[in-house]
Amino acid sequence: MIPKKWLPALAASTLIASLLLVACSPDLSSSSDGMGTPQAGGHLVMAREMDVTTLMPADATDNQSIWTSEEIFDTLVVPSVNGEGLKPSLATDWVQSSDKLAWTFTLRPGTTFSDGTALTSADVKFSLDTASDPNLPSGFLNEQIAAVETPSPDTVVVRTKTAWSPLPSVLALYANSIVPANYGGKSREEFAKAPVGSGPFKVKSWTIGQQLELVKNTSYWGADRPYLDAVTFVAVGDANTRATQLQGGQITVNETPAASSFAALSSTPGLKASAFDSSYTSFLSLNNTRAPFTDVHVRRAIAHAIDREAILKAAYFGQGTAAGSFLSPAYWAYDANVKGRQFNLEEAKKEMKLSSTPQGFSADILVASGNATQLTTAQILQGELSDIGITLTINQMEPGALRATRKSMDYDMAISYATTDITDPDELVRFIAVQSGGSNALYTGYDSQEVADLATKAASLSDQAERAKIYSTIQQKVNDDQPLIPLLYQPMLYSYSDRVHDFQPSMTGNYNLVNTWLSK
Amino acid sequence: MTRFLVRRLGLLALVVWGVVTATFALVHATPGDPARATLGDKAPESAVQALRAEWGLDQPLGVQYWHFLTDLVSGNLGTSFQYRSPITALLAERLPTTLLLMLMAVTFAVVISLPLATWVAVRGRGGSDIGVRIFGAVAQGTPTFLIGTLLVIVFGLKLHWFPVGGYGRTTAEHLHSLVLPAMTVALGIVPMLVNSLRASLTDALQSDFVAFGHSKGLKPATVLAAYAIRNGSISGVTILGIQAGVLAGGALVVEKVFAIPGMGSLMLAGILGRDFPVVQATTLVFAGIVVVVYLITDLSYALLDPRARLT
Repeated sequence: MIPKKWLPALAASTLIASLLLVACSPDLSSSSDGMGTPQAGGHLVMAREMDVTTLMPADATDNQSIWTSEEIFDTLVVPSVNGEGLKPSLATDWVQSSDKLAWTFTLRPGTTFSDGTALTSADVKFSLDTASDPNLPSGFLNEQIAAVETPSPDTVVVRTKTAWSPLPSVLALYANSIVPANYGGKSREEFAKAPVGSGPFKVKSWTIGQQLELVKNTSYWGADRPYLDAVTFVAVGDANTRATQLQGGQITVNETPAASSFAALSSTPGLKASAFDSSYTSFLSLNNTRAPFTDVHVRRAIAHAIDREAILKAAYFGQGTAAGSFLSPAYWAYDANVKGRQFNLEEAKKEMKLSSTPQGFSADILVASGNATQLTTAQILQGELSDIGITLTINQMEPGALRATRKSMDYDMAISYATTDITDPDELVRFIAVQSGGSNALYTGYDSQEVADLATKAASLSDQAERAKIYSTIQQKVNDDQPLIPLLYQPMLYSYSDRVHDFQPSMTGNYNLVNTWLSK
Repeated sequence: MTRFLVRRLGLLALVVWGVVTATFALVHATPGDPARATLGDKAPESAVQALRAEWGLDQPLGVQYWHFLTDLVSGNLGTSFQYRSPITALLAERLPTTLLLMLMAVTFAVVISLPLATWVAVRGRGGSDIGVRIFGAVAQGTPTFLIGTLLVIVFGLKLHWFPVGGYGRTTAEHLHSLVLPAMTVALGIVPMLVNSLRASLTDALQSDFVAFGHSKGLKPATVLAAYAIRNGSISGVTILGIQAGVLAGGALVVEKVFAIPGMGSLMLAGILGRDFPVVQATTLVFAGIVVVVYLITDLSYALLDPRARLT
């Protein structure tokens, strides 16, 4: 017999125990699989870490804004899903002039914006001219554009300053989306909040910082597309909340599920978990302007001392592959023969002996605070680099502060990453390996005139095979110099309801919701 | 009373000024450039400098502070760097959500604490007292995010009584969506409230005026409600007032866990995006809420205890 006075304590314990029990018990509910012929209709709800910050494509810098603009607007051409080439979009064909200084684009006949206004070459000229403003975030990518001409309503000629092969790929960039000339009579600020495009969806409402509702553009040029009636993007900052909302059926797609739960999600009834190819490559950045990282032997020694597989397992839960070249396999220019300086402790010790600091040294490594993946990676590096006499101190820093510190080159080592906006390798090669490419070679200070000259030459050639050869040489040169150490190639992770079909983001991140459908 | 109010309001204004000045200094002292954060890593330096000039960030800090203060006095909270929208418009959408969340949390806390404390005080020391203390220790020692996550899993995911997160569209959906978040915040302050109420109710029940009430032949329930609870609840009001800061802090965490689009989530987005005007404005509003609650707490003493003199 339990004493009566114990009852309240017992009741409280029982309550807590039952809460825990219910919380930990498996969910047996599941939904049926609906694969087959695409079905029209349905409302897809995608939860993302943050809301869009702008609906003006030329102003977008965050992935949420970029990938959303690609659902509302069209570009002249679009990258293929695998990143190997370009496909027609608003332009049905394009051709480079014999002097290589002009490209002629033929527009798709009968295309209109979602408000019914005809889309003409005047809209294209306005869009490209305004997007080329060097003060806009991506304006620098258009610096090779000399002029945009409109010989007829359905023909656009883009002249370049030099022979420049990446042009069509740059015109596939979100920032070069086609907007109505003069923003359809709105001010730029008004248009950025309630835009009109020619893409598969149009804006229904936007509650800033909270959610964006899109509905089907019924005058979209793609036959029978899109299948979905509506798409809502909701901002849900917490990864656990997104995961539970998906399990509870409150959302249909969870963008960026935690890598730690990815394997479990794959086997959860009613859910799918997919890893899509991306250009995301993580690096260990080294400050090449500060001793001892000025010494190539030190950089090579560090590269050989890192066991990437260990990092992949412990920090990324197996989601990704060990990196070799600084260019990811998602590029057509990727050279699989550039294997990188793989884990080899003997080789690492040999390189250290050849270096200016054979006894080792102490250094700091910057890690973004609150980023468990980066912290785990740094802890593994701490252990591994101690084998060659390097004592690492982990310095956690708020992401904004970390960015500023790297930019001012006031650091030793940092965990960093790079992604691309276009499928042509030109952008990322310059960004990572060319000092004048816009980011001081990903803030390493690496300065190789040979690489810079090769990058310029590659961009001027038309033949892809010729260009690929030059990019291979660049990859080999960077591999020899190791200004930064490629760690992993990472996929984009998504989890979603098994009612979602043909969800296939491209390597640049575009959701391609135009082809996505929901089974009933 | 008037002198009290004037003096208090003056002090409150001083506190708010101190908070916004400290926030201004902190956001500007932290490394990280809002223009770079907005334009991204790949934008050229010239574009970043142009944006800094547009936002006035290229001016000396003293000038920026002066503009900030003069704008504040004239009711202009500025424009969000990230969303390029007036902050007053963002606040108008977010503030009612957070206030509703805090109000529901206080209501739940009182509804749970008062009967529990009264029950324990009436029964005296014993099993019930120990039980409530154990429950309080467990609840107080459990982090808010864990309580929130447990409530979500049980009442949202398993039982489907409440949404797993979000805020809904209609007023009914808003109230429904806020039940679990408000309960999470409430459970964070219930233990302290129960302990305080239990102690003061126990004292009140042993006092002469309660004995007098019984001797007059009043019903025990009347004595409890009109004599004991009214006197004993003054300490609860103090605790609730002191907990205003905890409530505001709880709202920050809970809004993130439950994806509630309130002031807390706006503030976090502002901090991460180096959106100085948003951080300054949300801090100002949170500080304002806390000091106004303190003032209301002081004023409520006079209502609950006629002996209190506000001088």
